[in-house]
Amino acid sequence: MNTPWAGPRLFAAGAAVAVALAVYLIGLPEGTSLFGTPLSDLTLPTALFVATAGVAVTASTARAGRWRVVDIVTASVLGVAGGLVFAVWNAASTPLRDAMVPPASAIIAGVWLFPAVLGALVVRRPGAAVYTELVAAVLSALVGNEWGFATVWYGLVEGMGAEVVFALLLYRRYGLPTALFAGAGAGVAVGLLDSLIYYPETLGAGGKLAYVLIATASGVVIAGLGSWLLTRALASTGTLAPLASGRSAERV
Amino acid sequence: MLFDGLDIREASSAPVARANPAAKLAVATVISVALILTVDPVTAGVALALELAALPWCGLSPRNLLRSSWIILLGAVPAGLLTLFFGVDSGTTLLGMGFVSVTQGSLTSAVAITLRILAIGLPGVVLLATTDPTDLADALAQNLHLPHRFVLSALASLRLVGLLAQEWQTLTMARRARGFDRGRYLHQVFALLVIAIRRGTVLATTMEARGFGVDAPRTWARPSRFSRFDLLVVLGGLGVAVAATAAGLLAGTWNLVLA
Repeated sequence: MNTPWAGPRLFAAGAAVAVALAVYLIGLPEGTSLFGTPLSDLTLPTALFVATAGVAVTASTARAGRWRVVDIVTASVLGVAGGLVFAVWNAASTPLRDAMVPPASAIIAGVWLFPAVLGALVVRRPGAAVYTELVAAVLSALVGNEWGFATVWYGLVEGMGAEVVFALLLYRRYGLPTALFAGAGAGVAVGLLDSLIYYPETLGAGGKLAYVLIATASGVVIAGLGSWLLTRALASTGTLAPLASGRSAERV
Repeated sequence: MLFDGLDIREASSAPVARANPAAKLAVATVISVALILTVDPVTAGVALALELAALPWCGLSPRNLLRSSWIILLGAVPAGLLTLFFGVDSGTTLLGMGFVSVTQGSLTSAVAITLRILAIGLPGVVLLATTDPTDLADALAQNLHLPHRFVLSALASLRLVGLLAQEWQTLTMARRARGFDRGRYLHQVFALLVIAIRRGTVLATTMEARGFGVDAPRTWARPSRFSRFDLLVVLGGLGVAVAATAAGLLAGTWNLVLA
């Protein structure tokens, strides 16, 4: 393996750090606030996030390498399977969702997040979480659901939420803790989206915080733990043999 | 049947329906971003009115439109009602019963939320109801230059939807022949997932054997063209977004949702 810090990669990582430094020095605006917290209080966390995520993502491209065709097709298949689950779940969960008032309704959000974690755990390539979730969301929208085209945006952002966790770990860790954190990342993403797009006026700042926390817990259990168990079960059938996750599976 | 929507896309001669899928995608994107930024009745109302005005050129018969958009109404109305009854209260109280209350403020928000969900949803309905997945994939790869290996693999996997329905039938019969009773659906779903992944890996090998995914420049059997008319469609969508935002700003109701 040649040195990871050369050429465009060094430039991109440097740019991420520079942007983070600029954010820290300039500071976020004081006037606007998110959930009652002035944005200026979030300057340091935001700067840290931009720097770490930027460096991690660029570093990861060095090792994880190019997607093979079998990686792409498997991720697509998992996305399609996830999309079918969505289609059934969208219809089946309607009475359940109508019965629950937000923020309690966030408790089932995790079901919509599992393809992101599953795709990344099975394929183990940079971007697998985003890609798998996006394919699932597109199929869900094509079949038709009550959110229409917004489903595609949701898929993209939910996938990013999980992807960030895998990127921060440099795409090297695919164990249970990673899966749980990835589920949490996706849960935070969907919690923020829902409370900002669907319930901006319904919930106060406290209600939004509760919504995000419940969605995160749901992501950890359903998407994180669920996908990890599913990946282990799939690996034990030998189906994943051509993939990175199958090579590290225990033989029965 | 649930998945009928994937196949029923009759060819339409309406101008917007025939536009390049990339152009329709751009319109849906621009309008949804403009509306996600704000929650106010004026912006959403103007956007929805302009979209409805453009509908006759989209080639969706009223029956077709109703069939593909009722599900959005199903989402928009409960969201509005929730805001109406449980939303953050402000202004004069119109109706109050315990913790359920309807006020001037929550009524305005409810109208805004419902209009907003409809206005975000309608361009997507037109996009999805008038676009064939193959054409969409061609446009994504050729006009928007997304990585073609990913776009074409996703399109190939989309074909699995029909095949998996057949496999499900086979699995059900096989399990019944072996004496499994019905009801253990999760086991059967897992078996279906294993079959899907196996099919996927075989498919990948076949595609590679035929030269898919090599680094040589790719040619296309179905060229996707982005014409001057498509540009006009994109500009139209941009116009709707700008007009709606301008109306909201002029009326003084436009407010950034994050603030």
